[in-house]
Amino acid sequence: MCTPRKIFIRAYWLVTFALFAIAIGAVIEYAPDEETMGPIQKIFYLHLPVAISTFLACLVCFIASLGYLVQRKTWWDDLAAAAARVAVQLCAVVLLTGMIWGKSAWGQWWTWSPRLTFSLVLWLLYVVYLTVRVSVESGQRRAVISAIYGIIAFLDVPLVWLSVRLMPDIHPESIELAAPMKLTLALWFVPVVLLTAGLIVAKFNLNQIQRKRSAVLEDEKSTAATSGPLHWAGGAA
Amino acid sequence: MTGSIAQFQLLTAKDLKIEARSRQTMSLVLVLGVLIVVVLGLGLGTTNNVAGFNAMAVLWVAYLFSGVLCFEKTMAVERNDNVLAGLMMAPLDRGLIYLSKLASNLILMLAVAAVVTPAGILFFGFDLSAAPGSFAAVMLLGILGFAAIGTLFSAAVSSTRLQGGLLAMMVFPVSLPLVVVSTQLMIRTFRDGQAPGLSGIGILVAFDAIFLVVSWMVFELVLEP
Amino acid sequence: MTRASSAIFEAKRANPATPEPVVRCQRLSKSIDDRSVLREIDLQVGAGSYLALLGANGAGKSTLLKIVATLIPATSGEIELFGNPLSHNSASVRARIGFIAHQSMLYRDLSTRENLEFYAGLYSLKNARARVRRMLEMVGLSGRANDPVKTFSRGMVQRAAIARALLHDPDLILADEPFSGLDAPSIESLERFFSELHVAGKTIILVNHDIDQSLRLAERAIVLRGGRIAVDSPTYRLYPREVLSEVSA
Repeated sequence: MCTPRKIFIRAYWLVTFALFAIAIGAVIEYAPDEETMGPIQKIFYLHLPVAISTFLACLVCFIASLGYLVQRKTWWDDLAAAAARVAVQLCAVVLLTGMIWGKSAWGQWWTWSPRLTFSLVLWLLYVVYLTVRVSVESGQRRAVISAIYGIIAFLDVPLVWLSVRLMPDIHPESIELAAPMKLTLALWFVPVVLLTAGLIVAKFNLNQIQRKRSAVLEDEKSTAATSGPLHWAGGAA
Repeated sequence: MTGSIAQFQLLTAKDLKIEARSRQTMSLVLVLGVLIVVVLGLGLGTTNNVAGFNAMAVLWVAYLFSGVLCFEKTMAVERNDNVLAGLMMAPLDRGLIYLSKLASNLILMLAVAAVVTPAGILFFGFDLSAAPGSFAAVMLLGILGFAAIGTLFSAAVSSTRLQGGLLAMMVFPVSLPLVVVSTQLMIRTFRDGQAPGLSGIGILVAFDAIFLVVSWMVFELVLEP
Repeated sequence: MTRASSAIFEAKRANPATPEPVVRCQRLSKSIDDRSVLREIDLQVGAGSYLALLGANGAGKSTLLKIVATLIPATSGEIELFGNPLSHNSASVRARIGFIAHQSMLYRDLSTRENLEFYAGLYSLKNARARVRRMLEMVGLSGRANDPVKTFSRGMVQRAAIARALLHDPDLILADEPFSGLDAPSIESLERFFSELHVAGKTIILVNHDIDQSLRLAERAIVLRGGRIAVDSPTYRLYPREVLSEVSA
């Protein structure tokens, strides 16, 4: 019932939740409003840490993909899939917060600014990763193809970043961070990173359970198929 | 070393011979390429001559779709009768298989480019006179990078059911830097009259170098005899 | 042919000064998707032996053959071919292996001659033209050498595949269900052909599902069950019935 593992998991989420509460409190009470933009600017405190966490999730996916290709152990594959899913979820948050920022700053929901474009492409890159996994039926083939794609996609990320910076940037975003703002930002980093790690591990465990379950089903099916002799029991009754 | 070069030539020649024999892919791909140019160009409007920078975008779409078909076909050759196992068992460095497939894909894609680009110039008066050399260089670097990943991915998905769709879905987002950089460079060259900056070309070269090396190294792990 | 092969086997047993085993596996294991397909296989195949690998579907015979053929890597354990551990020198070792499978491994759009000349080039064979011509004569396809393989019947395709597999005169011949889909005369001539290869000193490992045929052809039989070696014995000591019960246990 109350195994050490379950206690740890509960404590982990409690701490994360508490840190989020502190961070939100800091945003509301502590961090000053920025001059030009007003209160909406505070979405930045969510946007930047989540963006960095997205990158971390993509990095985990990359390492796990490499690990799978080298060692061919299926838990690498489960880890890569979990990290990619979390990356997509986080990147959606990055996109949405970026768009909200853009709407309040420049009145448009979407601009092809380098930052938004980059977020969109990153999101698409890993949505494709997840779609690849859905599209391939064979377990082993799926793992190999995803791993290859996971490696290439991650290596592509810096190139995407560099290439979108060539695009014209009508709304350059430079933010002056006063000291209390920096502290608030730091306060947001920790719970966001904890959340990311927790989500990845949770999804990883789910993947492992699913894999074991379908392995058991496969075994049952294959042994059932070849057991027992065949008998002819007569024609139409 | 000379043995490897001879084997590489043998492998590439074999692909081209088979392609010349069946002629399936080339006709399909060329027609598709020209169709895309026509349809897109019509969509952009026929009254104003499409300037060089728009030309790049239209041509890229044509290259992307034709390219995916080329990659699919050159890999499909190895699927029949498990010929891939025959290649894998030969005493050669399996990276050579990648390089020869890449070479075949490049040759096919350049053949497509050789037809589609003039078609675009003809139908829509693509005005490349300002900097034809830059245009050609950017296009070639782009096609090289695209073929580098396309060859790797096509080997990976070759045994799956949804080959072509899966391949297109994987290659397009990864190739975005190529498309973005080449269109931006062409905008600066043709509309703003600047020489293509080193940073832009640098990104293309970096893309090509990184993905050529990585694909070549990783290729063997993808093969499924 | 059984008498000849048992005589050869006895001759080899009598003369213990045998050279390096052609294939040596130590604790060879293979897992696919976390499922164990081969478990700790210890196997030695001496030069010139004719070995049949038997087992139910999924017992691991084709997987083992593919690992020996260097087509797929093992998950753990060691494997040596011709005394060389597999990994670095794989390319040179492969030049001494010939693989015959149910699939032909020939380009169907090319002719037999073109296929053979292609492989001759890949294997860097000297006198390629002459060797190709001799191979075509040996398998009786000289007349159809310039026709594309896709126009061939199954029996002719198999002959062309044999030409491909033996073009580089390999010492080790691996055959994965080579008789499947052939008509009776083709089966008979292929059986005789393998025996001639055996007499000529080649090492043959044959994966086959037909137990009677395998016991008749080979001099040694190994039955794989659940990824392990259940039976390893000279064929003249085995009865088809008991092998069948081992296979289907």
